[in-house]
Amino acid sequence: MPNAKLPPILVVDDNHDNAEIVRQYLEMRGYPVSVAHGGDEALVLFETIRPAVVLLDVMMPGRDGWEVCRVMKQHPTLGRTVRVIMVTALGEWQDKREALQIGADDYVEKPFDLPKLAATVQRNLAMQREMAS
Amino acid sequence: MSESILLTDSDEPALEPAVRQLDGWVIERVTAGELANAVAARPGVRAVVVASDDPDVLRAVVERAHSCGVPVVVACADDTARRRAVELKAEEWYRCPADASEIAQRIRGAVGRGSPPGLSEDRIERVEYEQMLHDSLTGLPTLPVMIERSRGLFKERGELVVLYLNFVRYSKIEEIYGWEKLDAVLETTAAAVREFLDDTAMSTSRLMVSFTNDDDFIFFHVPATGVAAASENEITDMVARLQRHVAGRIEAQHGEDIAALFDIYVGRAHVYYNPKIRLERLIYRGIREASNAARSIEERERGRRVADLRSSLRDRAVYVDYHPIVVTDTQEIFGYEALARGVMRSLRSPEVMFDVAAEADLVWELSRLCRSRAIEGIETRLQPNELLFLNVDPHDFSDPAFNEDEVKYPERVVIEITERTAIKDYPKFRERLRIFRERGFRFAVDDAGSGYAGLGSIANLEPDFIKLDISLINAIDTNFIKQNLVETMVKFANDHGAMVIAEGVERAEEFKTVKDLGVHLVQGFFLHRPLHLPLPPAVAAAKG
Repeated sequence: MPNAKLPPILVVDDNHDNAEIVRQYLEMRGYPVSVAHGGDEALVLFETIRPAVVLLDVMMPGRDGWEVCRVMKQHPTLGRTVRVIMVTALGEWQDKREALQIGADDYVEKPFDLPKLAATVQRNLAMQREMAS
Repeated sequence: MSESILLTDSDEPALEPAVRQLDGWVIERVTAGELANAVAARPGVRAVVVASDDPDVLRAVVERAHSCGVPVVVACADDTARRRAVELKAEEWYRCPADASEIAQRIRGAVGRGSPPGLSEDRIERVEYEQMLHDSLTGLPTLPVMIERSRGLFKERGELVVLYLNFVRYSKIEEIYGWEKLDAVLETTAAAVREFLDDTAMSTSRLMVSFTNDDDFIFFHVPATGVAAASENEITDMVARLQRHVAGRIEAQHGEDIAALFDIYVGRAHVYYNPKIRLERLIYRGIREASNAARSIEERERGRRVADLRSSLRDRAVYVDYHPIVVTDTQEIFGYEALARGVMRSLRSPEVMFDVAAEADLVWELSRLCRSRAIEGIETRLQPNELLFLNVDPHDFSDPAFNEDEVKYPERVVIEITERTAIKDYPKFRERLRIFRERGFRFAVDDAGSGYAGLGSIANLEPDFIKLDISLINAIDTNFIKQNLVETMVKFANDHGAMVIAEGVERAEEFKTVKDLGVHLVQGFFLHRPLHLPLPPAVAAAKG
């Protein structure tokens, strides 16, 4: 059951099943999770729920993950603190370099194992706390 | 403003405190059977929370609510209810019992998500629009905003001075250190500029600053009523003070190497109001004029630097900094990278010096001088077991004067070749490398990982050392992607019998991170400051 003390997480994936799996898993661990199924929706939710961490799928129709990440990172108030984790089936050097270029903080390769995903979320939250203090 | 109504069939006590967390919301309870009709009947309903476990009720409520554009949150008692909620495309759901803040968040989420399609697009456009008006990095307004703001003043006072500040070589910072560094430098610059404006003497008039998308700043100076516009002398004086102020800030925050890349050229244009001509066109023309003026000053300065370089080549007026490369585990000195700098102030930065040489077609001459000065250090500066890392541009290999016999101790020299320069004739280049290698020289790929090319192009050069690009090391302790890339590189090096060098390690956290990642060698101010080779007396005298 979601724990009020844990910060909100935004899961962005155009595949509803994937998004639901991740949401359930993270909710079981106590995180309040919101889900968006596209880039535009993600950007709207980004402003309303102000997530600490965004799990962002790269391959989406319309605005893809790279573009969404760039806009989030440039957001005047939220861009500095949010940690963006790119989730993608691509795992090549080039894609990681792109992720770095675009300002992402971390990277998870699909198909991911859920415990690793949770660990990735955790380490980014820890880093965020450290940078805030 | 009218209140937003949350309509629900749930008697969960946590709903009240949840609704109190939402600004301006009230709760209205009806029975499950009435819910669907009530959604349509009550105009102030902004969201529905359904708790009923009857699938028909749930379907009816969701369909009805969606037809009225009202988002639905499903309070789920079990997994079946949750599945139904997802299938029916309810905007949000939560598991009962939930605490108030989670419910509030779900309602908020549902409202954000369920807004009619046009609205969400508008919101994103607004965010993008705002980003266009104010540069997110420097916080300064962009040009269209500034033109709007100065419109009235300009018309009233009748004149406007445009100053165009061209920050040369900021692009170089990005090339070498990566965009994060340039972002940080621009932030410092903008803060310093604002600080300067706050206590500048021209405060009787309006001085406004804006930022153009790349790395230039534009000042509008509108003289106060009854006051003459700033004279040429006043502006020259202001620019000199501004330059000192910004340079000081940059050096304090980002160090000498970055400050050495910093130069401002300021161009100016005087614009007079003319009612026949569109005001923004007048201003844009003024900006263009000022920007051209800045460029012509830069040209003049460049000519002066070429003359400086020619005289430096004649007098052999370069000195060499030896940057220690240490073994990560033991922190013992492994070798030194030689970096040549011009003795003359204008050529202090190696990047600037080589830029000037490229413009004047003097690269080979300068390279020869730098190499020979660097190699002197093997005997005068280095211990017998220490290696000398020497920067060699791939084009230098075509210089007939550069050959494998130039150096007395080839086995103590590591030739660094940057990944950044495109190598045109690969087979020929590799053949040259082979000859050097046979003589005992070793090779390092410099700036590795700076591009998208990945590991293939590195493997091609069969290096003994891989020097990671500075941008990968800068703040590596806080970026997991950088850590992952460096880890990949270390693994690659271990598989190919090469050693990885992390360059630009400036903080303890960065050192610890690269050490943990298995990086073999480290270079950077965190461990050691560079050694200076004493200048020959004639040069020292010229410098003094």
